[in-house]
Amino acid sequence: MPNKDDFSKYLPLTEATYYIMLSLVEPRHGYAVMQTVESMSKGTVKVGPGTLYGVLSTLEKEKIIVKVQEEDRRKVYALTTKGKKILVEQIRRLELMTQNGLQSPIFVD
Amino acid sequence: MNKQTLKKFRLFWAWQDEKEEAWLREMAKQGWHLQSFSGPGIYNFLRGEAKDVVYRMDFRTTTKQDKQEYLQIFQDAGWEYVGELSSWQYFRKEFKPGEELEILTDAESKIAKYQRLLAMLVIILPILIMFNNSMIHQEGSWIVETARFLIILFMLFYIYCVLMILRRISQLKRL
Repeated sequence: MPNKDDFSKYLPLTEATYYIMLSLVEPRHGYAVMQTVESMSKGTVKVGPGTLYGVLSTLEKEKIIVKVQEEDRRKVYALTTKGKKILVEQIRRLELMTQNGLQSPIFVD
Repeated sequence: MNKQTLKKFRLFWAWQDEKEEAWLREMAKQGWHLQSFSGPGIYNFLRGEAKDVVYRMDFRTTTKQDKQEYLQIFQDAGWEYVGELSSWQYFRKEFKPGEELEILTDAESKIAKYQRLLAMLVIILPILIMFNNSMIHQEGSWIVETARFLIILFMLFYIYCVLMILRRISQLKRL
């Protein structure tokens, strides 16, 4: 009997949280996450240091990310299994949302 | 050679942080750079080059360990830490075109800041109520009456602060 995780309370993720989690599929420290988010989103999503710290704190508290290392005063984080599941579910939801949008008569490429 | 300093007294309400940031930037444009605080509302400036410097304030309490990581993230992003006053963390960065000038970049994190502020204020309320209640059964000497009046005044002011912060939050909320 498959055990269905219910992550609906976390979804939808904000744009910042989504990209931060996506950046942490690979272990990274704070500033590297900021740079990765900016390049991945082609500059459309910028994460300021205050926002980043808040999101990382919350994600760590919810056990969505975990500290894997500490270099100087920089903590290196990575997604946990729980975090990966949440991210995959968000990506599927976004895919459906995008498909619906692209197929809408209002959308002209 | 002695560097010139300037002491200024100014009161900003908790929800007027953007106003305070703008004022500190104006001071920097005139060559006065925030150095420290001598207490709430008392700013110490140091004379320097007239520069366009952006100031940003975050309301944040952290453990001693987390503070290091917190400050490192800001430093990596090019922000200089000026100091702390009553859990308000002051940062600054010289204005350059194309540079990211916000420390909070979405509505959610801005709202979270004001909610942390509210959470801090909520602690004061039970203390005020307890104080007021403890005086109800006292005989009405003028000292007690005056004290009670002042406490009620303070409670009204406190409620006003909470409402102003809630208003700021509702301005930030989106769809």
